[in-house]
This record gives sequence, structure tokens and C-alpha cells, in this order.
Amino acid sequence: MASEVDAPFYGESTWFCCGNAWGPCGGTGHGACGTCNSGSLQCAWPNTSDACYAITRPDRCGRTGLLRWGCGHTFYITSRCNNARVTVRIADCGPQTDLFCGERDCCSNGLCARDRLMDLTPAAFSRIASLSAGKIPVLISSTA
Amino acid sequence: MTDIDRRRFLNTAVLGGATVVGATALGSVAPEAAFADVQPDLDPSAPDPDFAEGRITGINGSMLLVTGSDKSLHRIYVTSGTSIWKLRPTGADAAQVGDGLYARGVLLDDGTLAADAVWLNIVNLTVLITSIGKDVIHFDHHGDRVVGHVVLGTTAAVYNSTPPVSDLTQLKVGYHAQVIGAWRPDTNEVDLATVYSAA
Repeated sequence: MASEVDAPFYGESTWFCCGNAWGPCGGTGHGACGTCNSGSLQCAWPNTSDACYAITRPDRCGRTGLLRWGCGHTFYITSRCNNARVTVRIADCGPQTDLFCGERDCCSNGLCARDRLMDLTPAAFSRIASLSAGKIPVLISSTA
Repeated sequence: MTDIDRRRFLNTAVLGGATVVGATALGSVAPEAAFADVQPDLDPSAPDPDFAEGRITGINGSMLLVTGSDKSLHRIYVTSGTSIWKLRPTGADAAQVGDGLYARGVLLDDGTLAADAVWLNIVNLTVLITSIGKDVIHFDHHGDRVVGHVVLGTTAAVYNSTPPVSDLTQLKVGYHAQVIGAWRPDTNEVDLATVYSAA
């Protein structure tokens, strides 16, 4: 069992749209916190509340130590592929970790991470990777 | 080149009318290079000034005129070095009025965004596979039906983190997937770039 507790830990990050949007994202709304916008540096976290956790269920992937953080909590996300970093705040619940349990993603430098634990807005994800990459391995930290 | 130096250079070059090789000013503007630049932390609560989203409402030479989904207006300057994606890496002439986009670059003093990268019509959807046809896959996306078109020579599948392959036969109805694709404007259809299967 992986226990993240309060130390930085590795996971996969993908991206999602929220707020006013075009295309299939058009009806997504402003997220669980009511503040989410694709153009802001924000994220979704799988453990923002009991109701959120009941949907995302990272524990089903053996990720039992994810701390409860609420709307506005700051994370520092660092790409394992290029060391680029972005600072984001929680604005939604997600990703749905248990849909892709055990999924692993690696960079060309050989560094990897598994399980989807972080969803970034397009503005945030595009500061550290190309949106066309879809998902990347990252280091997730609550301390700068 | 620091972010401040880069911003100063682009302001001088673009606003001064000089030819700009690329928004990153020096060297490659391939995404992996552009995103490796050290960028200053911003207030996460505020919109990122170096990012834009919306739909193209006009094209004037190298300038994309974009109306944001929040009705804000953006002018996005595409240079010869801007990385453009529309289902696959492509050129600036792929941009069309009506396309949705995300763009990242450098906000210049006149309000123009000098683009490092532009993603046209890109979508990233977590879906449930509901049916599979010869050249089409149907998805459920949060209760909405999405039609995914297989594009010969482009569409790839990733099964359980293995390298991408063109063989889609292992995709299964009833399983979840992540879809990277290009939206066909004003429809519920996307051309499929990569399907990440949880099967």
C-alpha cells in the first residue's frame, strides 16, 4: 500500500476543462468548489470531501494515504519529464482514480509514476507539458 | 533566456515590426522545449495571462482573433516557430474560423499573446465505450453521447501503459477510456488521436 501522508509523492496528472468552455466541455460548470476555470492555475484533487472520495476511490488502487485537502489548498506540481513546475489551487474533485488503477506513465528519461492522482486545468497543465500529451508523471507536493 | 528577458525581446520584436522566428525567440519551440523553461509562479486564483482559450472568430494574417468562452477577446500572434496541434502536429494554415483553441505564449505590452503553442479543437475526455464500429467508436461522456472517428494513420490506442499502437481491436465496450482528439466544431463528434484504455 502506498501512503502519501504529507510528504511529496508521485502520481499521474492529466488535464480537464471547467468553467466557461467550448465543445464537449461546454456544460462542465465551475467544479465542486464553484471557482474552477480552464484559464486559471487550478486542479482537481481526489480527496476534497467524503462525497468526493466516494467517487474517486484512490484506495482501490492502493493509494490509501491521500490527505483530505479542501478548496483553495495549494499544490506544487513538478513534471518528472522536464522538471517544469506549476503552482495550483484545488477547485474541483477528481480525477476518478479507480477507473485507471495501476496505470503507469513514463517520460523519455525513464522516470515514471502510476495512478491518476491529479487533474490540472489546461492553463496549468500547459505550463509543464503539451496538452496533446494527455497525461504525464508528476511529483505532487504541498510545500514549496 | 529568462522569462523577463524573453518577454522584453518579444515586445521589442513583435511591437517593433521585426520578424520573429519563434515565440520562444531563440531555438526550438517544440513543446518539450518550451515547457521546460522555468516560469515564475503566478497567483493560482487569477487567470493565467500567458494562456488563452476560446473560439477563433477571425484570422488576419498571422493573428488569430479569438473570443473566449467568458466573452473576453484575445489576439494571438502565430509565428513561424509556434507549435500548432490539430489532431496531429501541423501548420498555422490549419486554423479555421470556428475552431476552438487553447494557446500558451507570452502576453505582450499591447495585449497580444505571442504563441509558443496552439492546440486547435483539442479535447481530453474520460469516457465509457458504448459501442464500436468499423471506423467509429461511440462514447458516453458524463451522460452525453460522443462519436469518435478513427483516422487511418493517426488514431492510436494505449493499452495499460504500453506504447501506442494502431490496433484498436482490444478496446472493449463497457470499459472506460481517456480520449485525446480533435473536436469537429459545433457537433458531438471528435477525430481520435489517442485512446488510453483501462482494459
